Amino acid sequence: MNQVVQLQIAQFALIYLLLLAVLAVMKKCRVNEAKLLVVASVRMTVQLTLAGWVLMLLFAHPHPAFTFLYLAVMVGFAIYQVLRKVPGLNRRFQWIVGLSVAAPGLAVLFFFVRVVVGESIFNPQYVIPISGMIMGNTMTGAALGLKTFCDSLAGQRSKLQALLAIGASPQKILFPFVSSALETALLPTLNSMLGMGIVSLPGMMTGQILSGTLPTTAILYQIAIMVAICAVVCLSCFGALFFGYRTLYNDRNQIILL
Amino acid sequence: MMPLFQFSDVCFGDFLTYPDITLAEKRCTFIMGQSGCGKSTLLRLLNSLVSPSRGTIQYRGENLATLDTLALRRNVLLCPQDVFLFEGSISENFSQYFGYRDAPCPSEETMQQFLQLCCLYLPLTARCETLSGGERQRVLLAICLSFLPQVLLLDEPTAALDETTAHQVLANVKLFCSERQITLIIVCHNPRLAELYADETVLLEKEAAK
Repeated sequence: MNQVVQLQIAQFALIYLLLLAVLAVMKKCRVNEAKLLVVASVRMTVQLTLAGWVLMLLFAHPHPAFTFLYLAVMVGFAIYQVLRKVPGLNRRFQWIVGLSVAAPGLAVLFFFVRVVVGESIFNPQYVIPISGMIMGNTMTGAALGLKTFCDSLAGQRSKLQALLAIGASPQKILFPFVSSALETALLPTLNSMLGMGIVSLPGMMTGQILSGTLPTTAILYQIAIMVAICAVVCLSCFGALFFGYRTLYNDRNQIILL
Repeated sequence: MMPLFQFSDVCFGDFLTYPDITLAEKRCTFIMGQSGCGKSTLLRLLNSLVSPSRGTIQYRGENLATLDTLALRRNVLLCPQDVFLFEGSISENFSQYFGYRDAPCPSEETMQQFLQLCCLYLPLTARCETLSGGERQRVLLAICLSFLPQVLLLDEPTAALDETTAHQVLANVKLFCSERQITLIIVCHNPRLAELYADETVLLEKEAAK
């Protein structure tokens, strides 16, 4: 198989021409988001360029400490993003969310890289991209689960109070909200697994094939990462919601709304 | 005779102060007072939905704060002012409410009896989303009555009812409860109803926190 074609900067820059088409459509349809388009494109370019340079440095100096640092920043950022999406959680709940994002993510990453692939956990070539996919999906899944949970509870005050008033336990009252939010968080991952490989090839496989990996190897990685993502979304959401919802009521069985 | 409930120096939050109330067993007590003086909160203190910021409430001589809240709420049941009913028929609502209590649902005959007690002459298949405010209030009242608690706390049970129906419902409920020795504590702002149905009255006044 061939090595990937190295892009020349001048040729690469031509891709931005496509954004002119986007701008034209926006103008025609009076979608006033031209500024957002420019900002988004510039930010994406800058952020990815920086990420690329950091990765070049990391690969040139593959010290375990650097890989560890990169992981720490990634996990920290993922936790921050999730907590940002659901403001107003009490302190204990926030800690539980943080642990539920970090622990399953890192555990599954370790399992994938060390056990399934068989590489050292500090090998940046494997750890960085795989952890990126795992933490990225954990972040999205956990945020979705938590947001669904919080939104479904808001506006249910009279239901919660009425059921408490007649002597129902807070666990029995709140648990259906947990199940429902967990289901909502899992559905996108399950649906993407359903359609995978039928029309388009998923990103990881595309990247590997472009770089010269045999398709038969690429599919193994793709299947493995999808299963890992499914597991990590499920575990992190479960952890956040199942342990987190207990912080919503006290020992007097009174529900302290978020 | 030991009072059922005894308040001592009770305050709630920053603004509500309660006099040292005693509530007797097996009687029908009306709680009255201006809007905002803490009538609903009083009921919620009685079944531990909220806790006082100061002072103690005794239930049958024991400090409420030491009692298991779920067991307490099954004996001292609160029918809230803010009516919540599940989507579905009246019988489905009975079933859901009893399900949350892990208790077997009463028979259709029993459900009808309680509905009629609350002057509601609708089939059990009637969908609650289509009922008027007053009808929904009576469905919830019927469900709460059917739990047969020892103490029933009613928060404005007749607020959405016309005068005649309100009188009839209260008369029925009071008779039912006195036959079964159920203590009734009712928050109501209608002095005419209090005059006719209250065995005791507690009047709360708006007081600044001491």
